[in-house]
Amino acid sequence: MAQSGKGKLNYRCPSCFMRDLDIDMFYDKDKKEYYCLRCQYTGTEEDVLEKNEMIRFRYRKMMERITDFD
Amino acid sequence: MENTFVVNVIHRPEMVPEYAEKVTGQGKAEDIGRKALLTESLDIFKFQQKTAHDNGLKCTIQMTYASLFNEEAVQLAKDDHEKYGDEIALTLLGLPCKEFREKYKTKDFCIWMFSMEDKKNIVDDVFGKFYECFGFYPESTGSYYMDAELTNYIKEKYPSIKCAVATCWEEGPKAYHTTNNSWYTLFDGGPWNPWIPSKQNTHAPAANEAEDSGIVAIPHLSRDLLACYDGNGSNFGTHPQNVLRGMIYDTKTWEYPYLYNLIDQYRHLAKYNNGYSYNMMFVGPGWLNKMGRWEQPYELLKKSYEDGMRYYGELKKEGKLIDLTMAEFADFYRANKTYTEPECALWKDILYGSNKQLFWYVDPFMRACVNMDQGGAIVDLRPYVAKLKWEVGIGTPHVQDASYPFLIQEKYRAGYFTHYAGEGTVRSAKICCGAEEVDLCLCRTHATFSQEGKNRVLTLDPVDIEFAEVSVKLQTKVIFPEGESRIQISREILEVSDPAAEISINEYMVACYGTTEYPEDMTSIKLSVGDGADAKKIEYAYKCREAAVEGAKVAEAIIPPVQTKVTLTTDADDATSYVKEGYAFSPMFTLGMTKKIRKGEVINTWLNLEKAN
Repeated sequence: MAQSGKGKLNYRCPSCFMRDLDIDMFYDKDKKEYYCLRCQYTGTEEDVLEKNEMIRFRYRKMMERITDFD
Repeated sequence: MENTFVVNVIHRPEMVPEYAEKVTGQGKAEDIGRKALLTESLDIFKFQQKTAHDNGLKCTIQMTYASLFNEEAVQLAKDDHEKYGDEIALTLLGLPCKEFREKYKTKDFCIWMFSMEDKKNIVDDVFGKFYECFGFYPESTGSYYMDAELTNYIKEKYPSIKCAVATCWEEGPKAYHTTNNSWYTLFDGGPWNPWIPSKQNTHAPAANEAEDSGIVAIPHLSRDLLACYDGNGSNFGTHPQNVLRGMIYDTKTWEYPYLYNLIDQYRHLAKYNNGYSYNMMFVGPGWLNKMGRWEQPYELLKKSYEDGMRYYGELKKEGKLIDLTMAEFADFYRANKTYTEPECALWKDILYGSNKQLFWYVDPFMRACVNMDQGGAIVDLRPYVAKLKWEVGIGTPHVQDASYPFLIQEKYRAGYFTHYAGEGTVRSAKICCGAEEVDLCLCRTHATFSQEGKNRVLTLDPVDIEFAEVSVKLQTKVIFPEGESRIQISREILEVSDPAAEISINEYMVACYGTTEYPEDMTSIKLSVGDGADAKKIEYAYKCREAAVEGAKVAEAIIPPVQTKVTLTTDADDATSYVKEGYAFSPMFTLGMTKKIRKGEVINTWLNLEKAN
C-alpha cells in the first residue's frame, strides 16, 4: 500500500470543521477516500462535498443581504 | 463628523507566503528558495495591486524583508507609488527567506516572539534594507502583533513611523485550537478598530500624551464581533478568503452576501462613534494560491478578492468610502479622535439568524462586552487601567502568550452556565422572591445606544421576571462614563404585580484572571467588604469562605498578577455587600450586594477598575 497524498484540493475534515478544527485530509488512492488524521472520518470526494453542504446549516442568514443593522 | 467610512487596503509581496510552502509544497522537501514559489508570490501581489487600482482604490504596499531582495518587487512598489499614490511601507511579516534564515539561523518568523535583542537586530536590518532600496524610512509598519517594547524601540529609532498593524482581534486560544494547536498567535483582548496604543501595553489604548506610543494602531482585518468572539476568527473577517474558509458561500453560485453584510455592519458603526467608521482588508498572497485553498479552486479565490475590491470601489464611487493609505489614516485618526473617546459597537448577528446582540466598548481603561441575549450581562472584561507590562518573546515569561488578561471571559471560564458545580465568570444580577431566584442572564432582550454628554448609554428593552405568585418588570441601563474607568448599571423596577411581596436583587460579579481556558493560581487575591472597623477581609485560599457587611457600599478584590483592583459599589444605604471566595473546583471570586426592591425604585451599582501595584 503506497503512501497517501493531499488530493486535488485541500479538503478539510467536515467532522472536525464542525468542532472548529481545520484539519486537511489526506487521500488514500487505493481506497479512493479521504481520511482525517485526527478523527475517524473517512469519505469519498462526493461525501466530503455533501457533508460540507450540511455544515452550512448553522449559517441561517448566509445568503441574505442584510440592510438593517439596528 | 459627517458619516465617514475609512478603508485601508494593504498588500504585501510575501515572497514565501506562510501557507504556501506547507500547503502547496506537500510531498516536497522544504525549499523556500524555490523559483516557482517566488514567481507565483509576486504574480499574486501584482494581481492584488491591479485589482485594487482597477477599482479606483489606493493601497499601502507593505514590503517584506524577503521582497527587499527582489528587484522586481521593489520596482513594482516604486512604480505604483508614482502612478497611484500608494504608500510604500514596511511589514515585519514575511521575514522568511534564504537571506533571513542564513543570517539568523532560525525558522522563527513572528517578530513578537524573538528575544528583545533579536527584535532590535531584525528591525535595524529590515529598516536598513528598506532605506537602501528606497532612500527613505517608512511611515507605516506592522505584524500580526506588535508588542509595546518593539513599538517603543521602532518609534525611538525610526520616528517616521506613525501607523502600524498591531493586533488581530480575538486571535488567541480559539485560533490555536482551530489549527489543532499549531498556530501560536495568542493575542486576545485587544481593540477591534484603530486605537493609539499605550507605551506600556499594545492592547491598552493611551489615556494621555504621556502614555502615547506615538503610533496609530490598526487591527489586522476587520472581524465579525459576534462570530469571531465565539468561533474561529479566521472565518469571519473582511478578508474574502476568510469567508471562503468559513464555508460561508453558495457552492453553486459562488455568492457570499455575508462579506458585504460584514462590511456594511462596520459602516453602520458610525452611528456609535460620532460618524466615524473603519474597515481594512489585508490579504496575504498565500490566500490566493494558484493551487486553490479550502476546497476551492483558484478561480473562486480570485473572484472573491475581485468582488471585495469591487464593493469597496462601488462605495467609493457613491461617495460612501474614503480610501487612505496607512500613514494618511494615522493623520486622519489623530485629527479626529481624543485619547479618552471610546470605540463602541452595538453588534448584531448577521450570520446565524439568532437575533443576538452584543455591545463592545473599548477605552484606555477597559474593554468590555455586554450580552443582550443574557439580559445585559458583562461577559468579557479586560482591565486596561492596569496598563500591564507584559513583555513577550524568547527570554520573557510569555514567549508566545501576548493576550491582555481578562477578569471575565464567558467562553474560557464559563459564564452563567456551568456543569453541575461551581460558577463561571459574569457580571449579572439575580432577582429573588422567597426561595425563588431568577438570573437576568436568562432574560433575552435587545438594546439601543445613545450618547448623553460624556456617557455612552445602552438602554435595554424591559424584561419580565415571573415567580410562582408575583411578577416583576425591570429595565436595565448600562452606562459607560467617558474617562472614568467604571461601568454603571442601573436597574429600574417598572412594575411589581404584588406590592406587598418581598423581592430583592442580588447584583454580582464572578471573576478570576487569565488569558486562556485554564485556571491560574488565585492565592494572591485579596477580598474585602465594607470600610473601616466593619471591614471584613479574605485572603484567597480556596476555602469557600464568604463575608458580608450590612450597610456596606463596597466589595473589593485586589488581583496582584494583573495589578488590578476591582470594586463593586452602590449608592444605596440599605444594601448588604458581600464577597465570596471560591474553591478548587470553582477557582473564582464573587463581589456582590443584595437589597430589597420595590416598584419605581432605581438601583445603581458601579463596577470600578483601578491599577493596583
